[in-house]
Amino acid sequence: MASSQTFGSMSVRAIQAGLAAGEFSAAEVARGTFERIGAADARVHAFLETTEAAALEAAARVDAALAAGRDLSELGPLAGVPVGYKDNMNLLGTHTTCSSRMLESYVSPYTATCVARTLEAGALPVGKLNMDEFAFGSSTETSAFGPTRNPWDLDRVPGGSSGGSAAAVAAGLVPVTLGSDTGGSIRQPGSFCGIVAVKPTYGVVSRYGVVAFGSSLDQVGPFARTVEDAALTLNAISGRDELDCTSQEVAVDFTANLAEGVRGMRIGVVPAFMDAAGLTSEVRDKVAEAAAKLEELGAELVEVELPNAQAAMSAYYVLGPCEAFSNLARFDSVRYGYCDPGHKDLGGQYEASRANGFGPEARRRIMLGSYLLSAGVYDKYYYPAQQVRTLITQDYARAFEQIDCILAPVAPRTAFRFGEIADPTEMYLSDMFTISINIAGNGGMSMPIGLGAETGMPVGAQLVAPAFRDKNMLRVAAALEAVYGPAPVAPDFADGKAGE
Amino acid sequence: MKKLEEVFETWEAVIGLEIHAELTTLDTKMFCGCKLEFGADPNTHTCPVCLGLPGALPVPNKAAIESIVLAGLATNCDIEKHSMFYRKNYMYPDMAKNFQTTQGPVAFCMRGHLDLDVDGPAARERYRLDDLAAGESDGNITRTEDGYVAHVGITRIHMEEDAGKMVHVGGGEGRIAGATHSLVDYNRAGTPLIELVTEPDLRTPEEARLFMQKLRQIYLAIGISDCSMEEGSLRCDGNVSLRRRGAEEFGTKTELKNMNSFKNLHDGLAYEICRQAEVLEEGGVIYQETRHWDPSAKRTIVMRVKETADDYRLFPEPDLAPYDLSDAFIERVRAKLPELPDQKARRFEEAFGLTAYDARHLVEHRETSRFFEACMEAAGDEAAKLAKPVANLVINDVTAYLNAEGVALAATPLSPARAVELVRLQASDAISSKQAKQVFAAVLAEDKDPEAIVEERGMKQVSDAGAIEAVVAEVIAANPDEVARYKDGNTKVIGFFVGQCMKKMRGQGNPKVINELLARRLAE
Repeated sequence: MASSQTFGSMSVRAIQAGLAAGEFSAAEVARGTFERIGAADARVHAFLETTEAAALEAAARVDAALAAGRDLSELGPLAGVPVGYKDNMNLLGTHTTCSSRMLESYVSPYTATCVARTLEAGALPVGKLNMDEFAFGSSTETSAFGPTRNPWDLDRVPGGSSGGSAAAVAAGLVPVTLGSDTGGSIRQPGSFCGIVAVKPTYGVVSRYGVVAFGSSLDQVGPFARTVEDAALTLNAISGRDELDCTSQEVAVDFTANLAEGVRGMRIGVVPAFMDAAGLTSEVRDKVAEAAAKLEELGAELVEVELPNAQAAMSAYYVLGPCEAFSNLARFDSVRYGYCDPGHKDLGGQYEASRANGFGPEARRRIMLGSYLLSAGVYDKYYYPAQQVRTLITQDYARAFEQIDCILAPVAPRTAFRFGEIADPTEMYLSDMFTISINIAGNGGMSMPIGLGAETGMPVGAQLVAPAFRDKNMLRVAAALEAVYGPAPVAPDFADGKAGE
Repeated sequence: MKKLEEVFETWEAVIGLEIHAELTTLDTKMFCGCKLEFGADPNTHTCPVCLGLPGALPVPNKAAIESIVLAGLATNCDIEKHSMFYRKNYMYPDMAKNFQTTQGPVAFCMRGHLDLDVDGPAARERYRLDDLAAGESDGNITRTEDGYVAHVGITRIHMEEDAGKMVHVGGGEGRIAGATHSLVDYNRAGTPLIELVTEPDLRTPEEARLFMQKLRQIYLAIGISDCSMEEGSLRCDGNVSLRRRGAEEFGTKTELKNMNSFKNLHDGLAYEICRQAEVLEEGGVIYQETRHWDPSAKRTIVMRVKETADDYRLFPEPDLAPYDLSDAFIERVRAKLPELPDQKARRFEEAFGLTAYDARHLVEHRETSRFFEACMEAAGDEAAKLAKPVANLVINDVTAYLNAEGVALAATPLSPARAVELVRLQASDAISSKQAKQVFAAVLAEDKDPEAIVEERGMKQVSDAGAIEAVVAEVIAANPDEVARYKDGNTKVIGFFVGQCMKKMRGQGNPKVINELLARRLAE
């Protein structure tokens, strides 16, 4: 039997092979995972809540089916695999706090489609993961329940907003987690924590039951340590959902062409990204090295221009806050959530509850959105931002007429230290290479390509796919994985260590 | 305060209406699968979507889109193939998401109109209508023989969702003032609602009332709503302003609410017009404000002063893709369009030779128009001949009976066959009009055929000239003084002679024949 400390370090295939061979039971996987979380998460603080009962129940179903002689492959692509969820995803009977005081006491009466689909695929739901409050942030420092730490260096941030989801995988607590990405919130923490992190094309995964930040930008995706694990998870969660009318039919096996290699593929490199001010040399060097490796493997590198991409940040900080302002209006203390006590009038209760229930970054974005949508201001910002959005979408579409995939940096730098970036606008620059992809709606992912020469922290290469051709970037990612090897568990947490 | 007609000497009223209709005939809500049911236990028809729970997303109800397109086609609107939903942001506990999903500058239905026939007393509210000759037009009206036709523009009809219902506890009459707490029932939250906005083309309260009546008839005919003004499934707000006769510029308007019946709509607007005139004539100013019509006090009271325009921060709803309607869809909906009241009225005029007035009144209610058609079928070859008396019976007696008893026509013992039989008895002079009224009442009270009632009560009218001749001679002979007065020129005494004849014939003489014979004999 495998040690209880190792399930989180295993791949999906390895866990399923063990289950199929009877080396361990799904219940042992569940118990072992909780033991591991209990031992190591005190230092990482990835989890906000663990869901032992639900995981053991799911495990019992898998074990019963195996005992009845059924084949593991019939039980779903994630059968027996522990999965964690960002805490903006509803799971019936568990808290969904979005790392906010506002929802500290909120218990979900229903389950999000992406979560439900992992459960239908046989996953063991192990718990809810820390994040920036309502996904506003790039470091998980805005969580009302304390930050998550980067398993590679506990003094550094794991990135954000899906910091808990990334750190849990990097620390070997679980093999797979789900996160959400509005401007880089999957890819940037994936890069900071050195794991595979996929934001599929907008519409590939249902958003139903995922607490909205920017409805037109949000997309759910997996974190894993191998490209195949990420692809298997995508297979389970993707596709049309009648409850989300922006979701699309996706009849694709994301694992199908992972082994095809990149020979003959045309891979775009954006000079404006590689020469961007603020991009650190250690990140640029690693990305350039990855490009060279792909060329060695037979891909053709093509320089492409995205002339309007530099306006993405401005458009994002108009559209994102506008949608967030409206999406967060429902948190008003009346029906659920934080209610400031003792108020006799509705207006007073609204104001005090929202002032005290939301943290500073949430308040900042709500106020920004409220201003940007107000009469007289709307025409000057929201409308031009939508026009910019159209231009950027066209830029990507035009670029993909001649290439199959784009290679770019994920973040301008590796993980920074806690408190190192205090100015919000400087923090916003963390997403300078990821935001335009949310604006355009394309799929993007972070692929670990080793450690930076200066900081010794993980560096991610960003791969961007044409809309609904997400398998292109997974194919390139698999080629890079063959070169750089599967993402390792962070050294201080490898082999069952707990970060001491 | 001056009367409306005095006010209209100096002032012109400009009225626009905003009419909300709940699509009560649908099975489910606008953006979720919850059942639509009036009067269910509070909060029993709710789900994460209509409760606005974190993470829930809307999915549009396709049947509701079909309903609004039907409404647009029935009111001569252009159907916009490409339109979007918007979010209207405001915070109030009856709207769980704190934004209402509605439509933006482009609604599903744009640029429609209805033509109103205004005649009879309703036409008299119009200022100096008699300055126009029949067929002559002025602005949006055209003079007819007995009134005018008003062409009323419809700006748009858009789709939106209703809010939940607030109940204030502890205050007087459920009002928020003095309440100790408030309860919210989200059963109504998310009910599909269509809002029709008219151009400011209406000039009198009667026109507003007729517009609302006509729209209600259309909505009932196309079957998209039960249109109950009492239960609030059809609601009307009025925007009213005054300007001096001849002025171009609009005055400041007030918005009038709580006009939950046709009478309240008329009376509320009439009061508000007179109130504004008084304020303006005393040198005051009209504030842009929302006012509440209090029918018991017969006045409007201020609900809310709008110092600045509300800022609803409208923006396109990102959870719903722009809506594209195909030509095929629009044509499919058009094919479902039933005969509309105006078309039906025209058909009644042409097929049965009815007057426009009779035809219009018959089609006011679906049950009376259906009943009339069934009568015409029962009348067979005599349809054209009996159309006018059947129409009179339906418009006057039947409608009065239904209104007084508050019952549905189908639930009464009056079948089309019985109605036709009754009319036929009268038309053939078998019974008098007075007897016809008695038979009508008896049919309804006793559930018997008219023939049977006439038989039972020996009501047969005597029209035989010979029989009547004898009675007339007898009466004339017995009253020489009255005969003398008649011959002196006091022709009114003929009424006395008719009464005497009728008395002798126990009410069964044909008054027409009696009159004729009396006139002839007295002239000898």
